[in-house]
Amino acid sequence: MTAAAPPIAGALALALDGLLRSMADDEFVIGFSDSEWTGIAPLLEEDVAMSSLAQDELGHAQALYALLADLTGTDADALAYDREPDAYRHCRLLDHGRGDWAMTIARRFLYDSADAVRLEALAEGSWAPLADLVAKLQREERYHRMHATAWFERLARGGDDARSRLITALDALGPDAATVFAPLPEDAALVDAGILAAPMADLETQWRAAIAPVFGALELPMPPAALAPERGRLDHGEAFRWLDTEFTMVRRSDPGATW
Amino acid sequence: MSSTVPPELEAWEVFRQEKEGDPMRHGGSVMAPDAELAVHYARELYGRRQESVRLWVVRRADILDLDDPDLLQPPLDRSFKKPGGYVMRDKLAAAREAAGQPKPKARSG
Repeated sequence: MTAAAPPIAGALALALDGLLRSMADDEFVIGFSDSEWTGIAPLLEEDVAMSSLAQDELGHAQALYALLADLTGTDADALAYDREPDAYRHCRLLDHGRGDWAMTIARRFLYDSADAVRLEALAEGSWAPLADLVAKLQREERYHRMHATAWFERLARGGDDARSRLITALDALGPDAATVFAPLPEDAALVDAGILAAPMADLETQWRAAIAPVFGALELPMPPAALAPERGRLDHGEAFRWLDTEFTMVRRSDPGATW
Repeated sequence: MSSTVPPELEAWEVFRQEKEGDPMRHGGSVMAPDAELAVHYARELYGRRQESVRLWVVRRADILDLDDPDLLQPPLDRSFKKPGGYVMRDKLAAAREAAGQPKPKARSG
């Protein structure tokens, strides 16, 4: 931490907790969702690619949980696995079930493009532990975006079946896409402290400007505004409860075991 | 937009360099419908564990293939084209000494 960094206390501590929790949970949940393709992806090479992406995301979640654990005096594994489903703070975009390949690609494209804007807004931040980690995450996320974009374009231009599946997926996911930028508790404190470059609402505007040319070129409908942005990271539904049961199964089979 | 036939997969050969200065060595192959995904899959199969600093991805159909036995394995004795009859070790050592150069160390890896 640099000497100029503000002390992490009060509203700022609460805000940083919320930010790290939301980012870690996002990466954790999309990682587990995508890992469901292992063994059943459309072709062998894609199976390896998607499984590797999923592992990357779990690695990112692990690093973010470790930061949060240091900050709050807890344990990264406990944060990842021991909370009740309602305590997770991933965005609602990631609350839809795995669905078909088009659903997975649409979710990846929407999430990766939004995550890129969020990471950019944190990369020059004043809290060195996070800014340093974000610089590393950005390098891996670059490939994730290349992969998601390549598939997004192929499905959009891939003929009736692929395109109609992609549009169905965007209809389902679009209204939740902007929940990546759902307001966080006390998040103005992050901007005041120089940790986050701009408020979440501004980041959503930047994200829309970034994806508009892609949606325009492919003649796809832009995601609408989120219906209830203030609850964009709450009220997780059945699909997440099922996923939670899956990813906590081994941990709960023998609580406290050393693996 | 009309329905289209799914793109055919084709084979791409992947060459990898383990570290700067190493030769490119054949790593294996991937199946992909086009060059962009071929590069993505090459990266995943031959680079995701940081085992490569560079990859070359070549469409297998673009490789010039030569396996003609008349050209490669001619039937007559060609041993006179091999350097086996020459013992170079002493001459090399003398030449190195004259030039003041030490014997190069064995390559690692």
